[in-house]
Amino acid sequence: MAAGFSLQDFILFSPVILLTGWGLLTLILDLTVLSRLGDTERNRALGLWTIAGLVSSVVLCQFLAFEYVGNVSGQDNLIFFDTLNGGVLYTQFAALVLLFAILVTCLSMVWNFTSHWGEYYALLIWSAVSMIVLIASEDLITLFLSLETMTICLYLLTAMEKSKKRSAEAGLKYFVYGSVSSALFLFGLSLVYGQTGSTSIDMIGQILSGAERPGLSGNLAGGVAVLMIMVGFGFKISAVPFHQWAPDAYEGAPAPIAAWLASGSKLASLVAMVKVMGGALGTWSATTSPTSPGWVGLLALISAATMTYGNFTALGQTNLKRLLAYSSIAHAGYMLVGVIAVGISTRREEAAAALFFYLVIYGLTTIAGFALAAWLDRDLGTESVDDLNGLGRRHPYVGVAVCVLMLSMIGIPPTAGFFGKLYMFMEALNVGGQDKVTMIGLVALGLFNSVVSAFYYVRILKAIFLRETDRKPLQNMGPEISLPLAVGAGLALFFGFQPASLLEDMEVVSRSGLRFAERPIASEERGVVRTILPARPASAEAAPPTEAPKP
Amino acid sequence: MIQALFIALSAFGLLMALGTVFARNLVNAALFLVAFFFVIACQFVLLEAEFMAAIQVLIYIGAVTVILMFGIMLTRNIQGDETTTVSKRWRLLGLGAFGTVCTVLVLGINAYQPWTDLAVRPEFPVTKDSTTPRGQAILSMTPTVGREMMTRYVVAFELAGLLLTAALVGAVVLAQHDSTDIVNAKAEKPGTEPAVTGS
Amino acid sequence: MSQQIPLTWFLYFAAASFSIGLMGVLMRRNAIGVLMAIEIMLNAANVNFVAFWRYGPTPASEGPISGVMMALFVVTVAAAEVAVGVGLILLCYRRWRAADVDELDSLSG
Repeated sequence: MAAGFSLQDFILFSPVILLTGWGLLTLILDLTVLSRLGDTERNRALGLWTIAGLVSSVVLCQFLAFEYVGNVSGQDNLIFFDTLNGGVLYTQFAALVLLFAILVTCLSMVWNFTSHWGEYYALLIWSAVSMIVLIASEDLITLFLSLETMTICLYLLTAMEKSKKRSAEAGLKYFVYGSVSSALFLFGLSLVYGQTGSTSIDMIGQILSGAERPGLSGNLAGGVAVLMIMVGFGFKISAVPFHQWAPDAYEGAPAPIAAWLASGSKLASLVAMVKVMGGALGTWSATTSPTSPGWVGLLALISAATMTYGNFTALGQTNLKRLLAYSSIAHAGYMLVGVIAVGISTRREEAAAALFFYLVIYGLTTIAGFALAAWLDRDLGTESVDDLNGLGRRHPYVGVAVCVLMLSMIGIPPTAGFFGKLYMFMEALNVGGQDKVTMIGLVALGLFNSVVSAFYYVRILKAIFLRETDRKPLQNMGPEISLPLAVGAGLALFFGFQPASLLEDMEVVSRSGLRFAERPIASEERGVVRTILPARPASAEAAPPTEAPKP
Repeated sequence: MIQALFIALSAFGLLMALGTVFARNLVNAALFLVAFFFVIACQFVLLEAEFMAAIQVLIYIGAVTVILMFGIMLTRNIQGDETTTVSKRWRLLGLGAFGTVCTVLVLGINAYQPWTDLAVRPEFPVTKDSTTPRGQAILSMTPTVGREMMTRYVVAFELAGLLLTAALVGAVVLAQHDSTDIVNAKAEKPGTEPAVTGS
Repeated sequence: MSQQIPLTWFLYFAAASFSIGLMGVLMRRNAIGVLMAIEIMLNAANVNFVAFWRYGPTPASEGPISGVMMALFVVTVAAAEVAVGVGLILLCYRRWRAADVDELDSLSG
């Protein structure tokens, strides 16, 4: 890839530029044209305006995917001096993030939890922008900056409901935990920079795998660096023991922002984590010998703890948002199994594809779950699970939709959640060497935890269908709530019947977007390692894809 | 000679950091922090990155400390001076964390051969005839920073602009008084929910 | 030339400052105190970046001042973070009189 940038780079980057400008226009609109209207009208007007911007950005992304991003091979699609990925990974995940943002905007139009709508929607748009850049970043500087931008926008959004004390507390707690973890993350990044001299993720992977003694043997500084980077990422995806902020933040934040935290920020952070830990630090992943530990072992422990803690604590929750927060923590635990698989599996691109499949389904169903909480919050002010009593009688379609959602979250066929777990756990077992035992244990724990999770998801269904209502009835849903709910349930069902379409899409994405350097082969593996790129010479020709993409 | 200077500077800097962490009075802590920032700027000068030293003074001492001072002054009467004693448990945890992290890092630094080998910095001293990119950059760092910002790091640069805008907008919105604030402040007792929901 | 400062000395200083900052985060109860400790940690990482840039070998494709640029952007992030943090603290303290980081417990569970 020629170092430099051209007009094409800007064209590829145009959705991001459009959205940034759109956010500014939202602010200006709020201050000028709409300043005379009341809160509800402004909310509606700005919400529709935001959706218009997000939809045009999605359209632009798909257009770019058609016109410009033809090939699947990984090498040609770096733009802007190789700091960003301009390929299918970027366009598809950008569209996904924007879809989540559209659903969250729908939810935000439900009721007036703040009067600063211009700023709210502007921050929402900008956090989506930074998530897209985070997913596309190929360089540590861009990665760190976009990570921080996303998180700072989220701190602000969490505290936006100024009339409630819990919102401000949630924001402050989130901020304190988040800043500490990003300082730790940064120090880890500085140590990695010191060992390689480079901030480009691809280059770091190559340098680390080309070292005389690849692996972490004797490299205490490297081990500390990996640990700190894991702390940073673990915080962002609310893994145990860095999850302390999550239940309070999810409960205190307004329901649309809790949905945004659970879906968008987890998606972006997990993709970044896969890139950094699977790509840049992939050489340090496997445990090739007792003196050369990899980060797989530690991440496996974190994953096991997260799954178990999330599920068991959710069993005792009475607040719906808090229950969804713990369920989200548990899902992060499952997804960490996928991340480990990407690190050490023999089929890394497929493992990444399975993880992305799970991410999509998880994001959609979680937003739908929070839509339910938003409905409760709008009418009743609180969101206890008991408030759902008897909902099924009055609103049978809602009951059916929630049933599909819960089945998907547990992982029961024929919903997409089942296929997500199936693919991810199957890929996780595709490892060789000493880590196979760890992975078998982890997958078994994952299945056990799925069974445990059934208990609290079914509790929601029980409240909806089997209990009599003793609360005041909820008013009509309105399209703002029914859209996310319908989209979540509908896609969970659709991809349950047609999982292959989404999986292939994700395979194309992961093939084009992720670069994996060589990693040390444990003696038991029979040379099954596939690398997607040869070592990159300065004047690179596009490397032919290692496998023709499926039609 | 320069080694003695470095040792003195570093010791002073660490003392200032300790002062920031342990000072009872928050304003004193902020002043210790200013001294620490200045020591960091001196470190940057020793590393031949004078541009960074200038930026450090301008932004950290000039802006960050001022904002912190505002924060301290505006929240002063609510808690009073920091006379709270930290519970024994957290004190032990803090000291333990300090000891562990410091030891592990120092051992790790010591163990890494390429770092311990670098007792002499490359291309020292940098003269006008230096041809390497880094040497040229050190000689004229400000134009280099400008050029790199606009070419290699243009995305990061624009993103930083977006970050600052978002932080500005959000912080103003959060910290400002709303029209319903006075009503709420009178109606509520400290620490309880207000009578009015929705602002 | 006469003696110079080895790289490891800068790294020791950064490591020590980082640990002090971490200790401050754990021991401080006031949110602004925690914020100050976080700033110490971020500065320690900055020293790391610039020291590694000056002393270490750099691949040619990286650009001549990658470490300094990273430090520059970290300064930007830190400034934005402090602004947001003080805004949040003002919201919590002045409006809700929630004075202590440990006492943010109105959220149950």
